[in-house]
Amino acid sequence: MHTALVIAKRELTCQLYSSIGYVVLALFALGTGLLFFGLQFQRGAEATMRSTFTGIVWLLIFLAPAISMRLLSDEFRSGSIETLMTAPVSDGQIIVGKWLGAMGYFVMLMLPVAVLIGVLEACGDPDYGPLSSGLLGLLLVGGFYLAIGTFASALSENQIIAFLLTIFIISFFTFVLYSLPNASFIPNAWREGISYAYVNQQFDDFGKGLIALRSVIFFLSGIALFLFLAAQVLESRRWR
Amino acid sequence: MIQAHELTKWYGPNLAIDRLSFEIPRGQIVGFLGPNGAGKTTTLRILTGYLPPTAGTAQVAGFDVLAQAREARQKIGYLPEHTPLYPEMRVEEYLHFRGQVFNMDRRLRKARIDVVVDRCGLQPVRRRLIGRLSKGNRQRVGLAQALLHDPPLLILDEPTAGLDPNQITEIRNLFAELRGQHTILLSTHILPEVEKTADRVMIIAGGRIVANGSLAELRQKMQAGAKVLVELAADPAAVQKALASLPGVAEVTVDGREGWCQAVVQPKGMDDLRQAIGQAAANNRWAIRELRAEHASLESYFIRITAQQNQAIEAA
Repeated sequence: MHTALVIAKRELTCQLYSSIGYVVLALFALGTGLLFFGLQFQRGAEATMRSTFTGIVWLLIFLAPAISMRLLSDEFRSGSIETLMTAPVSDGQIIVGKWLGAMGYFVMLMLPVAVLIGVLEACGDPDYGPLSSGLLGLLLVGGFYLAIGTFASALSENQIIAFLLTIFIISFFTFVLYSLPNASFIPNAWREGISYAYVNQQFDDFGKGLIALRSVIFFLSGIALFLFLAAQVLESRRWR
Repeated sequence: MIQAHELTKWYGPNLAIDRLSFEIPRGQIVGFLGPNGAGKTTTLRILTGYLPPTAGTAQVAGFDVLAQAREARQKIGYLPEHTPLYPEMRVEEYLHFRGQVFNMDRRLRKARIDVVVDRCGLQPVRRRLIGRLSKGNRQRVGLAQALLHDPPLLILDEPTAGLDPNQITEIRNLFAELRGQHTILLSTHILPEVEKTADRVMIIAGGRIVANGSLAELRQKMQAGAKVLVELAADPAAVQKALASLPGVAEVTVDGREGWCQAVVQPKGMDDLRQAIGQAAANNRWAIRELRAEHASLESYFIRITAQQNQAIEAA
């Protein structure tokens, strides 16, 4: 774990050095601010951030791939992966370290959300239960999307391909699984199973203030699955 | 320090290295030579554990590079070709990162960073961004990270590629300082560099080792079959006739000027023709101004031996 944390620290530092890191931060702050002040910050409205959190989940479809696209692609392009993979480090440690570094940056992205919670506190009496569960839900969704991004980044030396591939896979868990249960050719017995893998539905409970075990299991197993696949892809590079 | 047994690597249908077996004893500096595409980088990548061989085994410091990968890698300092680094990091920050990856505690890391920064001449740039360094300084950072954990084996792939003559001399001096402390496997194209620094030379061509021995052994092989140059006060036609009739002579080229003629005699086999040529000159009462075997360089030997291997592969 120590080595994974070392790699995570370097990755986080690298995100903070890169211009794209600040572009993502600015876009996220702008998007979150627009969602909050446009949808929720109205006289007499409930002091909650539920709609903002739901909007952020949609924003993450594009922002998470921007964070994760360079994680491994850039190492492949520059050749620095060779110095990493010839150090006494396992492929799993490299993958977990990269993902943790991206998660660290994602947590920093949440700072504007903390500011907005401060605004709510100043102007009303927010219920911290749904706020905390919503933040936890965002972390889980972000972690899931970044794990998908880590996997996609392990597949290509090209950051743009990694970016687009991540959006493509995330779209499956959002747009496709949203519309699929309504399709006439889907047997009734399958509809519930398909809905279970629909990310936004899994997040809904968190926004309401509920921490459902099945949702937590969904996100954690999704993260584990994509990190495992990423480690397998990295391992397979040695054998090509 | 290194034991490679029947190492073979296929990339799809292409055979990169073919049953390579060699041993490198502790403490030696070994020059690893070969034309582009001969399999040098593939061999180094297998030894460092970056690539697994298709067949065969390799051990570094007694550890199998596949089955005991972590232990083996801990014993190796590796500088890959093109020196990949993280341009957004500062030199010292990067070395700290590498030290942490190699499980060095903070105190040891700081002490070793001071040593390698000093040894690699990085003191003036230790707080500079790697992306803003010259190629020479980047190469030094690459060497510093390879030396950082004080590994018994250094594997350096083209460490002087793209450097100017002054920088090459500095790196060569660094190797001289490291002699005896580390075993060094050094892949390079610059043959004079090998002649000046290496104890031993391995030449690879077409995925096979075509020469492997100490420099003294190779020099003997280089001299064998060397052309003989002789300068005589004689008629060129007579010289041509007399030397061509000597046993063991393949070809004579005579060039006459100002009463003196210069002849280049190529032997058929590996014979040394100097004595026979001297005897022929004495018999004909020709004055001799010069008689010597042509100095065979590692470069000409390299060209000859790799060409032979390529011809053998084409013939097969």
